[in-house]
Formats: sequence, structure tokens, C-alpha cells
Amino acid sequence: MAAANQDSSRPQNTRAIMGFLREHAPFSSMEDPHLAHFAEHATLRFFADGDAVLSPDDGIVKRFYVVKQGRIRGERHNEKEDRLETTFEISQGECFPLAALIGERPTRTLHRASGDTFCLSIEQDAFITLFSESETFRDFCIRGVSSLLDQVNQRIQSSAMASMGSSNTLDTPLERYALRNPIVCSPDVPVRKAVARMHENNVGSIIVTDDNRHPTGIFTLRDLRSMIAKGEFPLDTPIQQVMTQNPCRLPAQADAFEAAMLMAEHHFAHLCVVDADDHLIGVVSERDLFSLQRVDLVNLARTIGTATHLRTLVSLRSDVSRLVDAMLAHGADSGQVVKIITTLNDVTVRRVLELNLKKNDPGIPFTWLTFGSEGRQEQTLLTDQDNGILFQTPEGMTEDEAREKLLPFARTINDELAECGFTLCKGNIMASNPKLCLSEREWDDWFIRFIEASTPQNLVYSSIFLDMRAVFGPMEPLHRLLENVLTRIRKNALFQKMLAGNALQRKPPLTMFRNFRYLNEGNKHSLDLKRQGLAPFVESVRVFALANGVEAANTLERMDALARNGVFDPKDANAWKEGYSLIQAIRMRAHQEMLDRGEELTNYIDPDDLNPLDRRILRESFRQAQRLQQKLEVTYQL
Amino acid sequence: MLEHIKQWLDRRRGGVIGSHNPDNLPHPKAPGDQLLSESRLIVLDLETTGLNASKDEVIAIGAVAIQGGTIPLDDQFDLILRRPELDIRETVLIHGIGTEALTQGHETEDALLYLLEWMNGDPILAYHSAFDQKFLEKTLKAQLGYTQPHTWMDVADILPAFFPDAKTGGKGLDHWADYFGLEVSARHHAAADALATAELTLAALNKAGKDGVKTLHELNDKLKYHRRLQNMHRF
Repeated sequence: MAAANQDSSRPQNTRAIMGFLREHAPFSSMEDPHLAHFAEHATLRFFADGDAVLSPDDGIVKRFYVVKQGRIRGERHNEKEDRLETTFEISQGECFPLAALIGERPTRTLHRASGDTFCLSIEQDAFITLFSESETFRDFCIRGVSSLLDQVNQRIQSSAMASMGSSNTLDTPLERYALRNPIVCSPDVPVRKAVARMHENNVGSIIVTDDNRHPTGIFTLRDLRSMIAKGEFPLDTPIQQVMTQNPCRLPAQADAFEAAMLMAEHHFAHLCVVDADDHLIGVVSERDLFSLQRVDLVNLARTIGTATHLRTLVSLRSDVSRLVDAMLAHGADSGQVVKIITTLNDVTVRRVLELNLKKNDPGIPFTWLTFGSEGRQEQTLLTDQDNGILFQTPEGMTEDEAREKLLPFARTINDELAECGFTLCKGNIMASNPKLCLSEREWDDWFIRFIEASTPQNLVYSSIFLDMRAVFGPMEPLHRLLENVLTRIRKNALFQKMLAGNALQRKPPLTMFRNFRYLNEGNKHSLDLKRQGLAPFVESVRVFALANGVEAANTLERMDALARNGVFDPKDANAWKEGYSLIQAIRMRAHQEMLDRGEELTNYIDPDDLNPLDRRILRESFRQAQRLQQKLEVTYQL
Repeated sequence: MLEHIKQWLDRRRGGVIGSHNPDNLPHPKAPGDQLLSESRLIVLDLETTGLNASKDEVIAIGAVAIQGGTIPLDDQFDLILRRPELDIRETVLIHGIGTEALTQGHETEDALLYLLEWMNGDPILAYHSAFDQKFLEKTLKAQLGYTQPHTWMDVADILPAFFPDAKTGGKGLDHWADYFGLEVSARHHAAADALATAELTLAALNKAGKDGVKTLHELNDKLKYHRRLQNMHRF
């Protein structure tokens, strides 16, 4: 009571609203003058249960709302099922509609009051004042938008899933997955024999059935593992003593989704599929359902790694493309997909090297280096070769003599990799280039010149040589080299500043008015997703990583490390990772579509070809790139 | 808002205090065909030294405006009157205004003139409005010789008129505030009570729109009808 009269410079109701705001983020960390600005310009509104608060038909959003009391739900019309679904709920102290307000567009979702609801609102001019004056508020708004990207990302995955056709969706009847002769045994069979049968058939489970083919139990590799670990039963124990009794079962008409839910609920990896009389028809495993195609991945990697002819390697490349397609469709994120592509590419490179070493070993120990996107483990299907050789000069041989022996070998490797689909590097950044086939000492000198006597021209190469990784051969020489490089860069503020300046050369393609800035190429609107979209992230992150001694070359890993080191705010790092990954996802999807149409792969897309959702993602992701570049500008005072 | 009042007071002080012309003050508006969705309504709450209008005095005035079915908070009135001669021991425990705050308040006459100008003759709503009406009219007459009758409406009537089935468990402001789940920031602070009353009024106006009550006139009629109904029940 008495407190109500203390701060008498502001009316009671203004103070009360400030008090309410203070209990909720982001207002809780905003300064009083900003809260007062909000409270003094606020309007209190009431919406009865079911009233529309904000609708796509209202035109461009000009008002910012905070729920004072009650709840708002987002309502979207599901056209497929012709029903309304709630897409989100906004409760007390939460704000809306951020993305529409910042994007200066109408809302895409009908906002409806859920229960009697009071909202505080401010008009656009007050919002802009707060946005420009309060850093906390601004950051919140921008991050709010970027976490929206999470939802958007989920929608990409579901649409990719839908495009795979009905055969792979979760509403497929189980019988399609499970109609295969399940491996069975009778209850009295010894464990050893049952496991042998599993091994022969290369399966992870065996169903124990009675004389009428009713499933009575299941025994899986996991059961075997725990049985051996506990050591309670010998391997000749009848299986009925160690099996899991009454295994989970579903009728053949049940769909994959039911099965998935059941498995998720009980943490089972296998389910029995039975007919109306409880006769066993088949078994369905977690892997069958969520075929993120790990089997294929492992198999494919093994097949590539053991291929005996270049021919085989070349033909396997189309399998890689198919795998990527499937993975994208099953909702793997772009970070996982590029890593898997890189893994398979590494296996291919290694196999090409091994096959050639068998045929014609030059006899000089060497490490095969990769640079650039391959070095960063960020390869997509469109990839060219950026590689080099770091060799140990054998006793009694000069460096030039060793190089003489290695260069023809490297030439063959480069050519054969080209046959496998790794385009020859136009800039000749390849191991067969004598300037990139160097001893450890020569590489060290090379980097000293690169760092100490840096010119704007050779900075262009920083995106290649400063993202370096060993694919084949001993790792230790590269590790030593990297340590020297990182130490030199950390000590060299001028080089860092030049790198930073270089990283700012490529601006995200957004105009001041948040529209896309197109390349001037003919009439078609085109954006270069790699150079304009990804490069600003990759290059800015590289500067921070090198300046702070982060050894990783992968951009996402670098961001994680920088967040751990406290160089990046963790929330910022997340928003940037998201933005980067989403651009990458759009780029890879475009590549898959180009492949389907039999076109040559490029990194150019026309945003007009994208659906509105993707356009919005792109725009938001580019804005995150701008924020990251701003941090670079501030850090290096550029 | 305080800046406005200060400027206004400074302007007033430049002239001769007490020499106002009552004819220049805004005239109250009658409840006619003005649309509720466009009208400005004043929601007011007074704190007084007691309950007896013939001997107790107004010590604080809080008011907000409703405009187009919303409450714009840049349009509000929150003043403590300067009445140090009053004995407030009896009620000080309820509303929390101590002698110190009162002596820092504003000259009554100035404050009332400002209030009249700010209200601009718009209809005045209050919870149990008879009480506020009696005190405000008495004060305006005694201090300014102002006797023009404003249109008053009682929110305590408006709410049951539009929500006849609401089980509030009582007829007080607190009962309705609880029914709508409102949090009143500082109960018995004039401005906070006025805001709570106004928030309840918003809910009623929202319902009024759906029930086809569109104008001030229709609203007034609905209230009269409701009161008659209440009186019939009473006998």
C-alpha cells in the first residue's frame, strides 16, 4: 500500500503495467525508461473467448501485443483434412506477432482469443522506438523470429516426406513393411542355436513361437548382450528362460505410425505383426520404420571402401545421391546430411588412393589434405576437388626429388576422382599442382608467407587453405602444422583484421528494405546460395575461430566451440547455426531437384520459384548472416 | 500525462486563479445515437475521507478513458487533491493516502478544472456510481460552482445486465474482477480501481456489441430496463 505512493512521478496504472511487464521476458531485463515508454503508449484491449484478435485479412500488421491475461491461439486451416488446427498458443506475458511485424506483412495465422483475454498493445511507432532504443528488446524480437524458423524447419521436413510419395509415409499399413518370413524358433531351442540362426539371416531379433505359430516371446541382440554381461545363464539355456515374454504385437492392418508410437512408448525396437488369429506374419523393426537408411549408409560405406575397381566406385556415386534424397525426405537436418556426404566422399577418396597405392606406390610417406568445403566437412553433391599433399622427405632424398615421384601419382588420383564426380578444380588447387605437394617444412614456410605477408589477393585463398583436414595418411604432421598456423594467427592482429575485412566482402543478398538483392544476370532473379548465403556465415565464423584458437574446420562445430569459449552468446550461436543450416537445406533440396530434372548442378536459385515459406526462411536466415557480420564489424572495428 | 498537467497548471497560474468562467467549461453530452464503438467514455473512481457525502471529502481522483472499445493508457487521470486540513484518520487504512501525500497533492480547484476539461463532457462510468456522482457533484459545486449534470452509468448495473448468468458470488467490484480473473494492481487506489472497472466495462461492451446494443442511447435504455427488472424483483 505505502509503496504505491513512493514513485509518484508516474501514474499508478503506468507503474502497475511496468510491474506486470517486469515479470516477463524480455521486459524483465529492459530498462525502466523503456518499460515506461511501453506502458505510457500502451492500449488495453479485451477479446472474448473465440474473438479473432488478428487475421491474415487485416493487412500489414501495425501493432505489437502482449497478453496481459488469458490466452491466444494460432489457428490454421489444414486443407488436406479440411479442419482447423491450433499451431501455437501464446499465454500471459508473451508477445505476438513478431515475424509479421518485423517482416512488415500480414500475419499468416489467425490469432484467436482462447478464453476471455486482455492484451496490451502498442502501435508501430512506439514499437519502432523501443526496437531502436532497447538492445534487449531488439535482440528478443530478432531471436523470436529466428526460433520461429524451428517450426518452419519442421515443415520443410514434412513436405519433403510428403513428396516421397505414400509408400514411405507413416500411414502405410504395417504388412508392407513386415511381410517377410520372420526368423522364428521354438521355446526349447538353446540360446546358442537361436543366435546362430539370427547370425545366418543377418537379423537382430528372433521370435519364439509355439506349435500354432503364436508368438510367445522375442529375443534380441540386446537381450543377448545383457545375458552375457550378467553371466547368469549359459549359452545352452533354453531360449524360453531368457526371452522377453508376450512380445508387443499389432495386427497387419495397423499403420506404421501406430507401430512407431508403440515402440517409442515401450522402448522396444521390434514388434510382431500378427493376423486376426494371432498367427505371426512378420516382424517390424525400428529401423524399418525410421529408415533414416543407416543400414544403407553403413552398407554403402562398406561397399565403397572395399570396391576393387574404379568402375564400381563411379557407379556407386548415384547411390550416394539416392541416399541423400532419402535422408532429406526423412527429415535429417542439413548438418547431418553434409557430414554423411563428406563421410562417403572421404571413403571414396581413400579407396581411390588405396587402389592406386596397390598398383603403383610412389614410396614416399604422405598425408592427403583436403581444403575448403571438403576440409570443413560441408560438401554437398556439387563439389569440386580442393586437395594437396603433405609428405615426409625420405632420408637421402631432396624435397624436389620426393615431389617428382609423387606428382604423377597425384595426377592419376585427381583424374580418377574426377571420374567419380569430383570436378577438377578450376583454380588448380589440387595435389598434382607442384605448389601444393609440399613437405612439412615447405608447408610451414608457405603458411608463414601467407600470414605474415598477406595481400588482399591471397586472402581470397583463406577460405580454402585455412579450412584444412587430413583424409588419408598420418594425422600427426598436419596437427603440428595446424598448431603453428593457429599460434601465428592468434598473435597477428593485423592478419585477423584483414581476414575480417575479407569476410565482409560478401554481403547477404538483402536490400535495406529487407527485400532480396539479386545478381545482375539477365532478367531472371537469381541468388547464389553458396557465395551470398553460406559464405558470409562460413567466413565470419572462420575469423572468430582462428582468432580464438579453435582447431575445428567445420562451421557448425566452430560455432559450438565459440559458444563454449564465450566468444558467441549461446543464443546467438544457435540462431546463426539455424540460419546457416536452413540455407544449406534449401540449397541441397535445389540440388536434388536439379538432379531429378537432369540439369547441371548450380548454386543459383530464383526466390520466385520458392514457396512463400521458403522465401521467408531465406530472408530470415540472411538477416542472421547480417547480424553475424555486424558482430565481426564491431569486434574488429571495421 | 503529468507533463500535460504541469503545463496546464503553469498556464493556469499565469492567469488569475479562481476567475474561471463556468460557461467556457465543456458541456456534458447526452446519451444519444453516438456509436459505442466510437464514443469516449470516462471510467472514474474517487477516494474519499468517508462514506457520508454531506460531511466527507474527495481526496483522490483516478480515471481512465475508453475509446473505441479499448483503453488507451496515454489518456488517463490520476491525481491526489491537496486537502491537508481534512481529517483522514478513519479511511487512511483503506486507501493508503497519508497526510504527507495529501499535502503534496494539487490545488483542488485546479485539479477539478483540469478534470472537467479532460472529461470533455463525456459520459462517466463508475462502480456503484451513485456514490462517486454524489461526491463529485458536491465537490464541483462547492469548489467551482459547476452544476451541469453529466451522464452517469453504473458499471455495477452494466455487468449483470450483459452477463446475467455470471456466478460471481457477490455484487462487488472484487467479485467481478475475480470472475474475469483480473488482477487489480493496488485495490483502493483510485486509478487502479478505475482501470479495473474499465477493464470489466470492456468485457461488457464486447458483449454489448454482440447483443446488438450499438449506441449510448441503447446502452442507457438497457440499463434502465435492467434496473426496473431489479426493482421488480425486490418487491
